[in-house]
Amino acid sequence: MSEAAQHTIAHVERILAVIFGLVVLGVALVALKNDWHSKGIENQVFKMMLGLLALGAFLAILAAFNVLAGHGVEV
Amino acid sequence: MAVATIPHSPFAHDDPEVDLLYSETRELRVQGFLLFMVSDLVLFSSFIFAYLYLRSSGQGWPPPGGPKLDLALASINSVILFGSGATMHFALENWKHSKFMKFAGWMVATIVLGSLFLSGQVIEYAKLAVGWGDSGIFGAGFYTLTGMHGFHVFCGVIYLTVLLLQATHGTYTFKKYTGLTLGTLYWHFVDVIWVVLFSIFYLL
Amino acid sequence: MATEALHGGGGIADHIHPEPQGFIRKYVFSIDHKIIGIQYMITAGIFLILGGMLAELIRVQLMKANGGFMTPDTYNEVYSIHGSTMVWLVIIPMLTGGFGNFVFPLQIGARDVAFPWLNMLSFWIFPVAGLMVYASFLMGAPSAGWTEYPPMSLQGQAGTSMWAAAIFLVGVSSTLTGINFLVTILKMRAPGMTFTRMPLFVWGQFATAPLLMIATTALGAALAALFMQREFGVAFFDPTKGGSPLLWQHLFWFYSHPAVYIMILPAFGILSEVIPTFARKPIFGYKMIAFSSCAIAILGFMVWAHHMFTSGMAPALQLPFMVLTMTIAVPTGVKIFSWMTTLFGGVLRFTTAMLFSVGFVALFTLGGITGVWLAAVPFDLHAHGTYFIVAHFHYVLVGGSLMGIFAGLFFWFPKMTGRYLNETWGKVSFWLFFIGMNGTFLPMHVNGLGGQPRRTATYDPQFQGLNQIESIASFIMTAAILIIIINIIVSIRNGKRSGHNPWNARTLEWQIASPPPYYNFKHIPTVFHAPYDFSEPLPYRGLEHELEGTVYENESLQPAGVH
Repeated sequence: MSEAAQHTIAHVERILAVIFGLVVLGVALVALKNDWHSKGIENQVFKMMLGLLALGAFLAILAAFNVLAGHGVEV
Repeated sequence: MAVATIPHSPFAHDDPEVDLLYSETRELRVQGFLLFMVSDLVLFSSFIFAYLYLRSSGQGWPPPGGPKLDLALASINSVILFGSGATMHFALENWKHSKFMKFAGWMVATIVLGSLFLSGQVIEYAKLAVGWGDSGIFGAGFYTLTGMHGFHVFCGVIYLTVLLLQATHGTYTFKKYTGLTLGTLYWHFVDVIWVVLFSIFYLL
Repeated sequence: MATEALHGGGGIADHIHPEPQGFIRKYVFSIDHKIIGIQYMITAGIFLILGGMLAELIRVQLMKANGGFMTPDTYNEVYSIHGSTMVWLVIIPMLTGGFGNFVFPLQIGARDVAFPWLNMLSFWIFPVAGLMVYASFLMGAPSAGWTEYPPMSLQGQAGTSMWAAAIFLVGVSSTLTGINFLVTILKMRAPGMTFTRMPLFVWGQFATAPLLMIATTALGAALAALFMQREFGVAFFDPTKGGSPLLWQHLFWFYSHPAVYIMILPAFGILSEVIPTFARKPIFGYKMIAFSSCAIAILGFMVWAHHMFTSGMAPALQLPFMVLTMTIAVPTGVKIFSWMTTLFGGVLRFTTAMLFSVGFVALFTLGGITGVWLAAVPFDLHAHGTYFIVAHFHYVLVGGSLMGIFAGLFFWFPKMTGRYLNETWGKVSFWLFFIGMNGTFLPMHVNGLGGQPRRTATYDPQFQGLNQIESIASFIMTAAILIIIINIIVSIRNGKRSGHNPWNARTLEWQIASPPPYYNFKHIPTVFHAPYDFSEPLPYRGLEHELEGTVYENESLQPAGVH
């Protein structure tokens, strides 16, 4: 595969990641809001995990923009 | 097991005796499963500690000669996995609202997204082109942790498939679905672990 | 799960299901917590004999300064497997899987543990793993001690990987047991049994279960990493590949320090049952004993690096670990003083169980004191790797855990079988054990401070005199254990009938028949108070029909022959 093609693929990946990331972020936050008053131990865990899921989506969006890239990655 | 005593249709009429037994065993099962997740979390934490310990041992990261990770691929792959967490959430919500077809649809979506994530992992491994044992602390950190997580995702895909089949065969009713709750917990757990792994490998 | 009725007043919880018939379902693949407890005890007892044989091989080798009984290589394998056996295959399964399974569901008024099938799985992993540990002899056993520090363990023979896999399996079994016990204690207590009304043995198990669940998993990670390093060359511990041998020590001791509390907290619980029963006095400081168990469990996670003072550590880190380690002496001291105060002014009955308990208090205190010495960095730098360490941990593990196990055995044997162990021979075995134990391990303090290094097949001739005393005393200890084993075998069929409550104890398990029926309680009782007020009536309601139709109905229930 040529370098140009690889760049194109990376671009497509980044754009898709941002779009889907925003969707997941929105869905997770809405779900968190709807579940906010639910009771029971498993629902508390669900809420925590939805919050972390939103955080993960947010991080992935930033990563797609190359903000926050770490030491071990190819930018 | 409790499931064996439950009539074979999600719309089945509920027997009060089964109800009482169910509500009593339900709490036990949920708590036991949460504790299992805690101990699984300790397993991951130990390897994360090992990775951070090795990474800070003065060789630099990535270690000399170690490959670079592909951030673009990782971003889309992460979003796929996080998206599967969202679809799993929808699946359980629809089951709670007695919508079987929608539940099944979201379950299939979750399973597909989980499999896509696994394929993405395979592509990433192939692109790295270094072995587990001959890449020094890179292999010890990256391959061990992502491999362990990938194994969890693999088990999760099978687990969810089994749950879907059970649900189609009427193992759960719309009032009694602890097994589905536990499956959702597991899948969210796998997602959340990936938030941590993604951060420490790609963003740190 | 429909086959196990749970607690709760009325309804399906009171349904009693028929006992499974047939030898296999009843005694082999049983899901009954009592049978599983006894299975654990028998299996761990067999491993105790095997581990004891290895210990005697060590003592025979050390009779002479230049050894000569086995080659140094064999000697390394023998003490490595001895340590692994005693820690993972004897004491931990005996105290958690054995006594824990048998006693604590009865004490909280439950019909079984929360997950009986999981319980059966936990048990059946354990003998398989034990066999794997011993099978490693065939491939060349591990030879770097039970701690298997790299890089030595990386150079070890093929059996080291087998050992790692086996101990990993033991860890899985422990983790499952921990989850099971924790859920059972949290969710299945009889109505009215609040946390501060739980018997102290249950508190011991309650403090141990999270340790089993969390610490054991960290050990699993360490063992998995060792296995990957050895079999696939993954660079965790090998410095030539960029790994770090110190990493193993961190991961290993993060488990293995809490593991020493896994080995002692349930034994503390046994003592807290035996001592008030035979002193006929309420236990002194119930809440302090209960909470100090939890304090020990929590502190136990923060002190692992005191095993690594000599491994190269920043002095700034040594100090907090030293202080935290010494802090553990406080909750432990609270327990020791509570037991002594319980004994003080009591009407003491020196049954064998009581003798072992009092012996425990004395010997464990000695081991605990040397533990505080070793927590001090300067002293540890001097004593590390000598026989002083060996003496210290044998005092807490043999003088503590193992004597606790024997106390529990003599105490609960009547509950398991409906018959006493022979008290006369029991007392003989106690005194032999007490003398042998001190004779074996007391001189090790002297030799250790004199500089005799541990884990060597030969030693400087100046240590030979005391070593010969140790070896001879260890034979006495072995004789004591043999007497106990014969006592068990004889008493199972021919022991004196004990009735349902031979010791006039007050916890729930003594209010039902011996051995308890399959379903434990015909009716789940209601609890009104903690069980240790010997002057009050029993704090339970709903036990009236428990003893109907048992074979002991017309026998004297007096504690005969124990004065």
